[in-house]
Amino acid sequence: MAPHGRIRIADGPADTAQIAEFERDRRDLLRRGLGLGGAVIAASSIPLLLSVRNAFAASSEDGEILGSAIHLEQVAVLAYGAAIGSGLLSAGFEKVARRFRDHEQEHADALTTALADLGGTPPAKATAKDIDAVVKGLGDVKSQKGVANFAIELEMAAVAAYYDAHRKLVDAKLLQTGASIMANEAQHLVVLRQAVKRDPVPNAFETGEA
Amino acid sequence: MDIDRFLRDPLSRRRFFHMSGVSVAGGSAMFLAACGDDTKTAATGPDESDDADVEILNSALDLELMAVAAYKAGAGQLKGSVLKVGKLFLEQEQEHADGLATAIKDAGGRPNRAKKSYDFPELKSQTDVLKFAVDLENTAIAAYIDALPKLGKGDLRATAAAIVSNEAEHVAVLLGALGEEQVPEAFVVGRAA
Repeated sequence: MAPHGRIRIADGPADTAQIAEFERDRRDLLRRGLGLGGAVIAASSIPLLLSVRNAFAASSEDGEILGSAIHLEQVAVLAYGAAIGSGLLSAGFEKVARRFRDHEQEHADALTTALADLGGTPPAKATAKDIDAVVKGLGDVKSQKGVANFAIELEMAAVAAYYDAHRKLVDAKLLQTGASIMANEAQHLVVLRQAVKRDPVPNAFETGEA
Repeated sequence: MDIDRFLRDPLSRRRFFHMSGVSVAGGSAMFLAACGDDTKTAATGPDESDDADVEILNSALDLELMAVAAYKAGAGQLKGSVLKVGKLFLEQEQEHADGLATAIKDAGGRPNRAKKSYDFPELKSQTDVLKFAVDLENTAIAAYIDALPKLGKGDLRATAAAIVSNEAEHVAVLLGALGEEQVPEAFVVGRAA
């Protein structure tokens, strides 16, 4: 497997191909169950999206999963916020980004309340630096199309994390809330994919995999 | 089943999703195998009963088979790119049905079959079909979310969430075709009535 220094999400078919290649590598790693160990991942510098998803899946307690989910939602709020302030978006797309950012904030708020109900402590508030740890390259984006492609990767990471979490969550209400959030992220994906003329619903089972 | 009543009466929907009558003989449900996802041992959940899972999966299968029939019934009113979307969604509902049927068999159950006919409302235009499809998809979403915590196996719960997300994507596309807000709420819960 050829390691990638970083994944840049900007415009054009070359970037799309690069993302596709990254996805293949990522799936390959996941297929092998990450059994080759952290050394392989570290050596390849695969985006930390992997580790975020893994932390999600590795959480054995509902509270831990909630903490990971809150962090991911906070990162999404920050990423959409950065996109909104980038000056790259048309008025129409900016409206969409604001709407999606508000949705992510609603998710974070609901999950934080749920965590408090479980007696848990919310994670430290995410910062802009944490965006790169989920999906790299927002700082390199130069166009609206690049923003949309970045947001697609981010939403897919979230969908994949919630998908994995459904194997681990025990609390019935949390399972239902998780599914309703995952489905909302999937709807975001439809709008974003349509914005860059990709197939809006490529798979019958939306698992966050390409 | 009277689909109109089903869509508008939450009690009817609840009964639909809770109805039983499938005999099973053990076995393990590896739903993900049906969905092309290699994986892991099923997580221990709140209920490990295959019988209960089969009952829930068969109720979901009934809904998927109804959705397949609905998209077939509505296809005649669809044109151009919307027709293409309708065909794609029909195929995806069939994929759900096939996956559910496999999971039911793996759990030692017998998959329900499609009814000979469904009592759908009259669909006179493309808009009628799109609105009816939104109703059906929302009903399915509400039913899956209702049923999800009752599934005993973690892999089944994950797959149910993946189906809910796909149905939610359908809703977003259908609403867009109707010229409506595609993602109206931060939490997708479907619509019971």
